[in-house]
Amino acid sequence: MNTLFFRLQHRYAPYLFVAPFVVLFLTFTLYPIVKSILLSFYITNGPKSQVFVGWDNFRFLWGDPAFHKAVKNTCVYALCSVFLQLPLSLGLALLLNSRLVKGRDFFRFSFFSPHLVGQVFVAVLFSVVFIPKFGLLNRVLHALVGTAIDTKWLGSPELVMPALVLTSLWMYVGFNMIYFLAALQAVDKELYEAAQVDGAGAFKQFVHVTLPGIRSVAVFVTVLSTIGSFQLFELPYVMLGNTAGPDNAGLTVVMYLFQNGFIAGDLGYASAIGWTLTMGVLVISLAQMRLTGTWKKES
Amino acid sequence: MGWQRTSLYAMLMLCAVVMLTPMAWLVAAAVKGPDDLFHYLFFAPLSRFSLYNFRQLFEQIPYVRFMINSLFVSGATVLVQLFFSSLGGFALAKYEFVGKRVIMVLMLTTMMIPAQVMLAPMYELIYAMGLVDSYVGLIVPGAVSVFGMFLFRQSMLDLPDDLLQAGRMDGCTELRLYWDVVLPVQRPMIGAFCLIAFMGSWNNFLWPQIVLHSQERFTLPIGLNQMVGLYAQEYGAMMAGTLLAVLPVVLLFFFLQKEFISGLTSGAIKG
Amino acid sequence: MPRLFAHGLPFGKAPTLILVVTVLAGLYLLVHPVEKSTATLRLWTFASNHATPYQKAIPSFEAKHPGVELEVQLVHGDAVNSRLRAAFWADLDVPDLVEVEISRAGSFFRGPIDDVGFIDLMPILQRTGYYERIVQTRFAPYRSRGRIYGLPHDVHPVVLAYRRDLFEALGIDVDQIETWEDFVRIGRQVSVPGERYMIELSDNNAGHFEMFLFQRDGGYFNADGQLIMDDEVALETLLFFIPLVAGPERIGSDLGSSRLFTQAVESGYFLSFICPDWRSKGTETDIPRMGGKMALMALPAVEVGGRRTSTWGGTMLGITKACPDPELAWQVAEHMYFDKAELAERFRETNILPPLKDAWEHPAFDEPRPYWSGQKLGRIYADLADDVPPQYASPFIETAKSKMAGVISSCAAYYRQHGEVGFEDFARQRLRSAAEEVRRYIGRNPY
Repeated sequence: MNTLFFRLQHRYAPYLFVAPFVVLFLTFTLYPIVKSILLSFYITNGPKSQVFVGWDNFRFLWGDPAFHKAVKNTCVYALCSVFLQLPLSLGLALLLNSRLVKGRDFFRFSFFSPHLVGQVFVAVLFSVVFIPKFGLLNRVLHALVGTAIDTKWLGSPELVMPALVLTSLWMYVGFNMIYFLAALQAVDKELYEAAQVDGAGAFKQFVHVTLPGIRSVAVFVTVLSTIGSFQLFELPYVMLGNTAGPDNAGLTVVMYLFQNGFIAGDLGYASAIGWTLTMGVLVISLAQMRLTGTWKKES
Repeated sequence: MGWQRTSLYAMLMLCAVVMLTPMAWLVAAAVKGPDDLFHYLFFAPLSRFSLYNFRQLFEQIPYVRFMINSLFVSGATVLVQLFFSSLGGFALAKYEFVGKRVIMVLMLTTMMIPAQVMLAPMYELIYAMGLVDSYVGLIVPGAVSVFGMFLFRQSMLDLPDDLLQAGRMDGCTELRLYWDVVLPVQRPMIGAFCLIAFMGSWNNFLWPQIVLHSQERFTLPIGLNQMVGLYAQEYGAMMAGTLLAVLPVVLLFFFLQKEFISGLTSGAIKG
Repeated sequence: MPRLFAHGLPFGKAPTLILVVTVLAGLYLLVHPVEKSTATLRLWTFASNHATPYQKAIPSFEAKHPGVELEVQLVHGDAVNSRLRAAFWADLDVPDLVEVEISRAGSFFRGPIDDVGFIDLMPILQRTGYYERIVQTRFAPYRSRGRIYGLPHDVHPVVLAYRRDLFEALGIDVDQIETWEDFVRIGRQVSVPGERYMIELSDNNAGHFEMFLFQRDGGYFNADGQLIMDDEVALETLLFFIPLVAGPERIGSDLGSSRLFTQAVESGYFLSFICPDWRSKGTETDIPRMGGKMALMALPAVEVGGRRTSTWGGTMLGITKACPDPELAWQVAEHMYFDKAELAERFRETNILPPLKDAWEHPAFDEPRPYWSGQKLGRIYADLADDVPPQYASPFIETAKSKMAGVISSCAAYYRQHGEVGFEDFARQRLRSAAEEVRRYIGRNPY
């Protein structure tokens, strides 16, 4: 079959196949990126009027206490994600990976199901769980460890972040566990046997066989987690409403972006915030990948 | 080894209990009457089983409409994404062409940039296209899933080239190859992707919040969030609404558990 | 083409299932399309206790104006603000009349004057003579740069609602309570933190605090639009307020929302709470079991002979620039807001005092209310109405309020930890820095 049509379609098929991506990319990614970079040099009142201010937005951002608070909150959250969540996920995966366990499917489902729920619905559910005096958490804690029953989780500045971290722990531990579990199962069993023959105990095996074996997945999950936590928005927005909690205790960078852009109407300032965040995330992700010595060619 | 096994199970059960408790509470809260909601910690006695919350829910907000909107938008999004992403992934996996590297780099950058940065200009674009407050405006910007493209590329790499060549000898066009040769083998990945895409679209909040104006077009997350502010005292109804909203995804997951796990991890493991 | 499905459905069962569901849902949506409104005029409101009486009043309005179709749409809660904002920006679907809540109204007055979506009502108000008949201070929150953008819906004077039976049981004589000093002294005697509080007060949002501020003639902005949230009055109020809600001698706490509030009042967890007129109706509906056991008393004064009320909440009705027939829209406003017979009936249903002073002469306002131990609810509120303090508007009111909320929380946290030690300096500092943030924010605004 060597008709012109056949040859042509064979040659140009790939271009056709990636065309949707390219078109959408140009329209809905490239154009908005360029436009938002431009916008960050303006102050706007909704999409209608704008005033050019040059670097002023960024200067203001630098000294803006609310932004500082948002950055601090977001960083705390990201650190907790990486250093609390991931070890827990790994731990769970290790437990579940053991040969001794049956009914793995059940456990996998129960650990993973919170993630299925979606941030918005989790936020709705947990805003009720955290209610002082009558909510689930306070009553359970009161019964188990005797803490005050009217602890105001979402109403006290010191407790808002812990509440958010707790909620996201619930949501994401199972998700990351799945990755770790698969990675653990992919580690070559023979390596463990070899280590055992060499006289290595369980801990040494863990450090010298397991960790290196899951390294690429661990990096992948860490980077993904970091990027994701810097973009935290829906959880605090739905749980705390527009107010971002008492004294902005739950304000994240993206939430601040949303407040400025879509509530106050200053899309220029919002873009400035957004790009500062993007730069930060890029730098951190690259640093993470460099530090762990992997350069991702593909995801 | 008895105690080892027991302690293992104990820890796992403890974690499972902690994980499942809020969900259990959700189910319990949905079927408790208004006075019982905070009176009983979990389930009220069976005699006090009540559908009051569901009645309230359907009376206060047009929940059924929200649900149907969500089903339509998510379903359409998944189908569109499935088609475009698998096509794109196929091209990336099995063809060499000018600009392939560039495209892959572009794909990576898309994933790095937080969507919120692009929200405002995207909104202006949609407005300029006249697609504000429409279903199309919801679906089109997300029509191609970069994550999906990566997934499909990953799983299609393993497809033997001979198969494709044989097909071409037989006179198959590339499109026919895709449809008849490649896709049938990708069923597990397709299943996984469907779940991932469905979940993403179903739970999507920010973009619909910005694009949709008429209440009749609201999807579940927006509709339910609205309820939080207004009917804050109707906790029971809110819980009932949340329960119904998470059911479709949970059901889909049940069907597709195995494929989902393998799909999710193949990208990470092989990569 | 038959070969297309040689292997069965190419995509597998999951996509097929999804396809079926999508098609079904799509069909449903096709059959029930979003209806384009055919109404001549549309009014948006966010509160169901406003929407219901308005909808009831539609037939009588349409009878007066044959051929005109009026539609009243209830847009839930905060959505009205985001949808209104979006509508203004996109020039899409802007309603003709819209009710906006007092704490949000200012944000719609931002930007260049031409961008403000509401028309100036001053000319109409003066021409029709309504300007003098309405409680003057109620225009303040809806005024900006010399224009009046909203018609006040209400006055919202504030009193204290209390459990008369529990007060009697505890030997509290309300006639002896004239000032806050009296109230706090008694409060300290009867409050047991964790079990019983004299009054419901929040320590982390500015809503309750504002009432104390307004009572003392303080506020966020003054009549000239300048920020005064860190002046001496504000500091005094802060120093007075925080010990009421934080620390071992606190007499107030809060719980969150209505259903829990019901339980709290029924169990005597809160002995009293701040009650503007709208809240009294909410109380009657949500806490029916306390009928006959509740009563109202004027707010304690700051000093003997001082103002015995404050204000909480408010709604304005604005006519948008997008409205093709502002005169007709004004007719709607007049019909909904100023029809005296309607107003009396509405008062019975909502307890909300209208801002039209001559409306208060109607006998409905003197009816004794069994729920409130036979008190004449209308008269109580009407007598205080003229004393209601003004709240001045600004495009930055939301920013100021949110910064103030931050001040309240952090001061409460400080007080819980350190008590009186260094508190005044901390509060002053915190208030000042919050105000500076707002000033900085105002300063960069080019409009």
